Amino acid sequence: MAHVTIHLPSILASLVGERVVPVDAASVAGALEALTARHPALGQALFDESGALREHVLCFHNKENTHWHAQGLGQKLLAGDKLTILQAVTGG
Amino acid sequence: MKKVVLFVGTEKGAFLIRSRDRYNWQLEGPLFKGWKVTAAGRSPDGRFLAASASYVYGPLLHISDDLVQWDSVKDGPSYGEGRKLEQIWTVAATRRGLYAGVAEAGLFFAADPMGPWKPVQGLNDHPTRAAWQPGLGGLCAHVVLENPENPDQLWCGISAVGVFRTDDGGKTWHPRNRGVTVAIEDKDHKDIGFCVHGLALNPHNPAVLYRQDHLGMFRSDDAGDTWQRSNAGLPADFGFPIVTDPDTGAVYAYPLHSDEYRLPVGGAMAVYRSTDQARSWAPLARGLMQEGGYASVLRGAMDVDGLSPCGVYFGTSSGTVHCSADGGDSWQQPDCLLPRILCIKAFVL
Repeated sequence: MAHVTIHLPSILASLVGERVVPVDAASVAGALEALTARHPALGQALFDESGALREHVLCFHNKENTHWHAQGLGQKLLAGDKLTILQAVTGG
Repeated sequence: MKKVVLFVGTEKGAFLIRSRDRYNWQLEGPLFKGWKVTAAGRSPDGRFLAASASYVYGPLLHISDDLVQWDSVKDGPSYGEGRKLEQIWTVAATRRGLYAGVAEAGLFFAADPMGPWKPVQGLNDHPTRAAWQPGLGGLCAHVVLENPENPDQLWCGISAVGVFRTDDGGKTWHPRNRGVTVAIEDKDHKDIGFCVHGLALNPHNPAVLYRQDHLGMFRSDDAGDTWQRSNAGLPADFGFPIVTDPDTGAVYAYPLHSDEYRLPVGGAMAVYRSTDQARSWAPLARGLMQEGGYASVLRGAMDVDGLSPCGVYFGTSSGTVHCSADGGDSWQQPDCLLPRILCIKAFVL
C-alpha cells in the first residue's frame, strides 16, 4: 500500500467537499476504489455502466495519462504519487 | 402568508428564488455550479430531490432537507451494463414511493429517496421497446402521474413514444394514444410513435387528462383510453409544458409556433389558460413581452404552487423567470437573468 493523493476538478470537489483526497492503495484502480468508497457519488460520476472510466474522464498518474499506459488502471503506485482527475476538453 | 421557493434548474446550475408575498423575489445560488440541473421534486416525507447531469460525469440524484445543503444519493437510478442512463428528467412522488423518469427512456422506483432505486421492468423492457425512437430532446421518460383515487393507476409519458398507463401498480404498462396524431409511425407497433411533450391530470376528475403533444393539444375523458384534439383558441399546436391548478382545475400551456420554429407566435409571449377542461383556451399576456418576445419554454419549466389564487411560474430557454400570483392574470419578472432554464419547481414552505 502506498499513501497517495487524488486531485479532483473543482466541479467534482464541490460535490464531495474536498479537492485533494488522500488514500492508501497499491494501484491506480485501488486508489479510485478507495476514493469512491469514501465518496460514493463519485462512483457514478467517474465510471460508466460497464465499470470503465467515462469516455471524457481522464486520470493522470503523476504526469502520465493512464489511458496511454500499458497497465492502465492496474499501474502500481509508490508513496507520494499523485493522481489527477481531469475532464477531457472536447469541442468549443 | 406561506413562503414560496422556486427551484430553478438551468444548463449551468440551480437557483432558488424566494418570496413571502409572491410579488417580491430574492435570488440565491447557484447551487450545483457548472452542472446541468434537470429535475426537482419532493418526497412524501418532505425531503427535496434534485437531479444533475453532465456531459462528462453523467447524471446524479441529490437530496436535501432545506434546499440549500445537498447530499448525493448513493444508490440512485442506474441501468447497469447494456443501457445508458443519460439524464433524469423527472422525479415524481406517489403514495407508495418515488419514480424517476430517465433517458434512455425508462422508469426507476424507490420506496425511500435514498434508494435503492430499482428499474421498473414492466415499462423499461416493454414488448415495443426495440421500436422506441428518440425525439429532438432524446428518448426520455419525462412525466409520471398517479391517480389520486387509485394508487395502482399511473401514467408515464415518453418522448417520442407516447403515453403508457399501468392499472396494476406498475407491473404492466400499456400504450394509451388512440386518437392522437402519430409523429413517428412504426411499421409493426401502431400504438407507439406518439411524441408526448407534456401530460397533466384534472385534479378533480382523474379520468380527465390533458396532453401537449408534438402535433397538438389533446384531452382524454376516459383515463387515456381515447383522446380528442382540444385546441380551440390556441395559436399553435406545438408546445411543451402543461400544468393544472389543483384548486380550480385550470390548465396552463405555452404554445410555440410549430416544431420547425419553436418560438412564440409572432414574438408575442403568452401563457394560455383553459378553465373548461381544455375545451377552449385564452391568452394570459399582461406583463409578458408582446413584441420581440421569442423566448421558448421547455417541458419541465412551468409549475404551479397550489395556493389560492394559484401561483403560476415559468422559466425560458433565454433565462428569464416569470411569476404570476393571480392565476396567470398578470406576470412579474424577478430581477435575474439565468442560464437556459430546464426546470422549475414551486415549493411552498
